Amino acid sequence: MKNVSTDKKEFWRSLKEYYDNPETFRNKINEFQDGVTDDFNPDELNKFSRRKFLALMTASAALTATACTNYRDKGEIIPFTNRAEGHLPGTPDYYASHINGKSVLVKVREGRPINIEGNPDHPVLSGRLDAQTPADLLNLYDPERLKNPSINTSSADWSVIDSEVLGILNKCADDNKEIALITHSVNSPTQFKLLEDFSKKYNSLKIYSYELVQNNRLKAWKNCYGNLDIPSISWDKAKIILALEADFLARDDNAIGNAILFAQNRDVMNSTEFNRLYAVEGGLSLTGMNADYRLPIRPDAQFHFVTALLNHFVIERKISFAKIPAAVENIISNYSLADFSNEFNVELKIIKNLANDLLTHQGSSIIYAGETLPVEVHTLVFLLNEVLANTKLYNFKSGFKYYNTATDFTDFKTLSEKLRKGEVGAVINFDANPVYHLPSAVDFADAFSKFANSISIVESENETSAISKYVLAANHELESWGDHQTRADLYELQQPVIAPLFDTRQKENILLTWLNGVYDEKAYHKYLMANFSEIIYKKQNTPVDVKTYWYNCLHDGFVELKNSYTSDGSFNLDNVSLSLPKIDKSNFVVHLQKSYFVGDGKFTNNGWLQEIPHPVTKITWDNYASISPLTADSLGVKNDDLIEIKTGEGNLTIAAFVQPGLPENTIVIELGYGRSVIGDVGKGTGFNANKLISIEPSNYIINKNVSVSKIGGRYKLVSTQEHHSLDDTFVKDFHKLRKIIREGSLEEYKNNPNFLHEDELHLVGITREHQYEGLKWGMAIDLNKCISCASCVTACNIENNVPVVGKDQVSRGREMQWMRIDRYYSGTPNAPEISNQPMLCQHCDNAPCENVCPVNATNHSADGLNQMAYNRCVGTRYCANNCPYKVRRFNFYDFREHLADAYYQNNLSNLIHNPEVTVRSRGVMEKCTFCIQRIMDARSEAIKENRELKGTDVVTACQSVCPTNAIVFGDINDKNSKVSKYREHKLGYHVLEELYVKPNVTYLAKLRNTHSEES
Amino acid sequence: MKKTALDYTLKIRLPLILFIILSTYLITFYLSRAERDGVGYTPQQPIKYSHKLHAGDMGIDCQYCHTGVTKGRHALVPSVNICMNCHNVARKDRPEIIKLTEYYEENKPLPWKRIHKVPEYAYFDHSVHVNKGIDCESCHGNVREMEEVSQMKSFTMTACLDCHRNPHEQLQYLEQVNIGPENCAACHR
Repeated sequence: MKNVSTDKKEFWRSLKEYYDNPETFRNKINEFQDGVTDDFNPDELNKFSRRKFLALMTASAALTATACTNYRDKGEIIPFTNRAEGHLPGTPDYYASHINGKSVLVKVREGRPINIEGNPDHPVLSGRLDAQTPADLLNLYDPERLKNPSINTSSADWSVIDSEVLGILNKCADDNKEIALITHSVNSPTQFKLLEDFSKKYNSLKIYSYELVQNNRLKAWKNCYGNLDIPSISWDKAKIILALEADFLARDDNAIGNAILFAQNRDVMNSTEFNRLYAVEGGLSLTGMNADYRLPIRPDAQFHFVTALLNHFVIERKISFAKIPAAVENIISNYSLADFSNEFNVELKIIKNLANDLLTHQGSSIIYAGETLPVEVHTLVFLLNEVLANTKLYNFKSGFKYYNTATDFTDFKTLSEKLRKGEVGAVINFDANPVYHLPSAVDFADAFSKFANSISIVESENETSAISKYVLAANHELESWGDHQTRADLYELQQPVIAPLFDTRQKENILLTWLNGVYDEKAYHKYLMANFSEIIYKKQNTPVDVKTYWYNCLHDGFVELKNSYTSDGSFNLDNVSLSLPKIDKSNFVVHLQKSYFVGDGKFTNNGWLQEIPHPVTKITWDNYASISPLTADSLGVKNDDLIEIKTGEGNLTIAAFVQPGLPENTIVIELGYGRSVIGDVGKGTGFNANKLISIEPSNYIINKNVSVSKIGGRYKLVSTQEHHSLDDTFVKDFHKLRKIIREGSLEEYKNNPNFLHEDELHLVGITREHQYEGLKWGMAIDLNKCISCASCVTACNIENNVPVVGKDQVSRGREMQWMRIDRYYSGTPNAPEISNQPMLCQHCDNAPCENVCPVNATNHSADGLNQMAYNRCVGTRYCANNCPYKVRRFNFYDFREHLADAYYQNNLSNLIHNPEVTVRSRGVMEKCTFCIQRIMDARSEAIKENRELKGTDVVTACQSVCPTNAIVFGDINDKNSKVSKYREHKLGYHVLEELYVKPNVTYLAKLRNTHSEES
Repeated sequence: MKKTALDYTLKIRLPLILFIILSTYLITFYLSRAERDGVGYTPQQPIKYSHKLHAGDMGIDCQYCHTGVTKGRHALVPSVNICMNCHNVARKDRPEIIKLTEYYEENKPLPWKRIHKVPEYAYFDHSVHVNKGIDCESCHGNVREMEEVSQMKSFTMTACLDCHRNPHEQLQYLEQVNIGPENCAACHR
């Protein structure tokens, strides 16, 4: 480059310009410049003779040979001194426990929990799990967990802290000064009793309990029915479901239970009668993606919509219902469906269809409102269900159990004021994070930071503990005892599966110490057993003694109780005052929602959960403000632009994301991001939108005084959607044209079951076909049931030691998850139709990846698996290039070392690895193995029992957690197996069939349950 | 023609160097073969335990101590309490047994030197082999004759495949035996 025309300009604009230079051309032909080799004289090189050189080489060779005669040390084997009976090193033990509000089985190898699976006997969850729960394991092995208690940030001894705190508490009791205990909602009977006992000892104790997203449904229920006995919903009996801002398949507390029941009416193998799901919502949610009809309306217009529906049924269709008070009737009589359709620009035909559906399916449909909707909407929804006799679907027998309603945010505001005035003697933060969670209107952080006697009991450092005087390190749930009752008829037990890793104590035990005055390691364990005997054992009338019963229940993980709620028909609206608010559609409305994966910020430091792509936008590691394409245009906003949202409650600067399917002037933001005191993984992820929550009453839909403006600057959001795209050419609906996604309507299928295969090509191969005798593994995924909840993604990550790569690497398309869920849009940006498809290695019979591997690291086994031998792989990446499904993942780094200064590479985090699967290093290709370790385990089990291996012996990790049973795995050579039947089904198809790679993953085409006149 | 550095290197230097490297490699390769495979490895154990005495002369079954071999991946090195089943009473006065008792009573880890090992990336399962009737000697040699245990056979992939491919020849004492799996994923995952 030096030779390029120095007299002229320094740079070149194009390659042509560069190569046109004659000097460059000349330099290119001659390897060396003239005269370079002229002075060479070889004799000068011989500084020592050839003989000498040879002798030296031989000597060194001999030395090398001698040096090799030492045997390599192979380490030591250290056996137990006393091996516990029944425990066999090398084989896993399973313990029933309770994590993250779910009953689970914890898989323990050599004393360390390595996986969290569902409890298959559980009456509600039946062994299924969400994406969050298994990933909680990573919190146990988080290197930044608190390792010991501290006073004013310097570590202290437990006994010192205990005596100081006891002094404070006793002084408060003597002076009758308030002790504020802040906690999340309590669903453990024993913890509830402990708090009661605690407040008996310290009379001035006041308990404040809250959730980041307060349960408005429960509050409305209490207003309408006068009790907390809120029923669960029998989704399996619902023919028509109307979800109003309700993400009941994913964000609901009972989402897994809901999804299990919901999918039972989407099972094409059993019946062609599907339920019909209408979603009326602002933000595009997971439930909305799965809906047969989705109506985008502003979240603050829900009240109008329900009013209009009531008007339609009560006034227009004259369904009589005695309990409508005059005040309510006044509101509903003046607002018809047509009014609503006009005001909010919604197609009247769809709403009419919906109303007709609801009318013809009275008693077998359900209207369900989301938790974030205001109490008034819930009230009207309860009324609507009463009017339509849908209360038949209320399952009182297995109703939800709540011990109390949450403390209002306004009470927290009073607490802040009391803190300022010095009316409070001590604040105990009991495993919560009020400084981060509470809206800015509560003004808690400032008051708390100036308060002296602040005590935080937390697992890891958070915003609240950082400004607390006493920070008490609490156990992780896997190190703790506990019990839970979330249903009227179900009591669940939690047992520790590992001794505390650090100098921590169980949070309940800390309170118990202050209650009893002395510390006893087993105190809460005993307390729990005593309470169990009192509230469970004595009421169960069992012939066995209490200890045996206790061990049995611990083994099972739960007890089915004979309790149940009854519907007392006490629906009463007399004390409810309602009015139809006026909405200016040109105003912005902000909707704050729960996050899908990081919870209320508890999992912000959890790499696995941060890296699961958002079900809709596929964005990882951040939250953002979703806005509709039209509104984005009018604001001049593009993806990644920073916008400023000003509301009466506060200002927020946040990155924007243009999301199809949103109504105009609507902004949707997820909560739980933007933590300021957090470990290295969660640092700098997302924006804290908690401050925008309005507090009177607690409201997540803010439409007063909202202004939105674009400010300069950009923030990079990272989405996985454009990676691994199945086709480069951007053509509209290419996923349908390429037959990646194949769909139809239920009507179409009923009329012609073979509609999918009408235009089938008959493919002929030119290579010799392999014969597969005996077992051949295959998978089927029913897209009618799959709701794209990503449970399978976490389960696969944990089972197969899939690393976290970090936001920067995701932006380069280097995410490592073996299973991804592809999302495709079709239709228009304002009303997109969405198709989802879990994508994993298809284990093709004619696998294109195998042909191109220069070292034969990937090849085919006799049982139909596309195998990957990491030790052979040299990392050419030819296979990934040749894979039409783009499911191969390359280790560009040793990601454990690369992520956040080797955050997950330390003695603690390494304990999480599944010892049955190789931890891959840098430069190696990897992909789904169909859980080969589980196949080999099943095979060894079969040999042990001296029988043949059967297809049903193996359950893959993704299959075992799938809430809707959408994944089927087994032997496709066995014609009676479930997977063969899916394979032979009329709706079965293979992705990119025409490539003739003969994949072994069959997809069942999705059927939409639309109205017949539209299909 | 002019002599150039390139000519000299190509014609003399390079062949010479290649020859030396190759011959050194070959000699070293063959001389150190057994050591590399670990054949003959006889480390000194923390307690002078004689397999010849226990398994040979007294005829204790291998599985009395090496439990779990039919149930799981590992043939467990016995936990100390298994030794103590007998040595609570037997030969309590011998120096090695005194050492053993010390380990047991003080609950100290007993660091036996590992002799047989397949690499981490290979997943060997004892139970599938033992449950098919393959005896311990086939891989571990005649331990009953060994005062100190040493590795008798090579534990390389070639050794595994020799047997997986020709089980009838290698395991003649078995009346019925299937060909072992040869696919990668059978051992590597």
